[in-house]
Amino acid sequence: MRGTSLGGFVLRVAVWLPPAFLVWYMAGPLFAFPIGLLTHGVARVGFADIVQGVEQHGYLITIVSTLKATFATTENPAGGVVSVELNALLYSYGFPMLAALILAARQPQALRKILLGYVVLAPFVTWSLMAEFLKRVTFDIAPSVAAQAGFGPLQREAIAFAYQFGALILPTVAPAVFWVLTHRRFLEGFAGGEAAAQKPSQ
Amino acid sequence: MVRFFLGFLVLQAVLFGAELTPWAQRWFVLPWTDSLAAISADVVKVFDPGVIAEGKVLQSANNGFAVSIEAGCNGVEATIVLIAAMLAFPATWKRKLAGLVIGIVAVQGLNVIRVISLFYLGQWNQEAFEFAHQYVWQALIMLNVLIVWLLWVRTLPRAAIAPVPG
Repeated sequence: MRGTSLGGFVLRVAVWLPPAFLVWYMAGPLFAFPIGLLTHGVARVGFADIVQGVEQHGYLITIVSTLKATFATTENPAGGVVSVELNALLYSYGFPMLAALILAARQPQALRKILLGYVVLAPFVTWSLMAEFLKRVTFDIAPSVAAQAGFGPLQREAIAFAYQFGALILPTVAPAVFWVLTHRRFLEGFAGGEAAAQKPSQ
Repeated sequence: MVRFFLGFLVLQAVLFGAELTPWAQRWFVLPWTDSLAAISADVVKVFDPGVIAEGKVLQSANNGFAVSIEAGCNGVEATIVLIAAMLAFPATWKRKLAGLVIGIVAVQGLNVIRVISLFYLGQWNQEAFEFAHQYVWQALIMLNVLIVWLLWVRTLPRAAIAPVPG
């Protein structure tokens, strides 16, 4: 484990990152499909009172609410029910980052780890999508729509925090944490045998 | 390792929550972001004098194109992640402080490059700007945080690492 080259690892990450981003972007609708299903499930189970359906068009996921747009808005010109279109790519760019890190580490079962990473990270993407939906109906669209949603002051604060956390922290930190957790022995090599003397529990 | 991760997650949540308070926004995040715009403008002026910074906005005096540095692009969240990772890791306070100073400079240094690259990318091609802004640079900044943290961990001598009870 001793003597793992950080420079070599960084170079390999730089080499893997462009193809990883290319595959992720080109296959965006494919990657987003299970996330759309998960979002549908979460929306129907957790927010059945304000969500009537979830539609998916490629990597765009549209949550159709039960909330009435009492006057025309840019998002709902006809004044019908409010629907919110969300971009799944905005919260899933951690996938190519994770894939590049896993491939650059050159550890056994890399493909399995990438697949496991997708399964583990998909719920975090769903979190971010749902948080954006709630944030938009609560703060962005219209006061009348927010009033129908009926969230109290504390819930509004929680929605704001969940959105910020889901947009600014989760998309990059969740993959990094997953990578560290699944590459602990590899990381011991980076510690140069000194931090490794701590022998973190496996 | 479990203790490190728990500490990291708690510290990160606390720091991020603190960052979102109006007080922190007014006295820390906004001045930080303004400084980032000013530093980026100073760097750009070395080779392109027609650039001005006004508050958190970086603008070209030649064609009027401007970028506004918003949350997520000011490097504050990346810095919070780095701080949480270094504070949670078992090391002496002296090592942590040294790591934080150098690490924050490294993270913000790359962030200046991000702002400048996006400033010129946006003037060249809007689609490329959106792709780089929304996806690529976000990942690169977090990779930078991870690499800085790995470098720091690598430099820790045995004596500098605080004993871990349990």
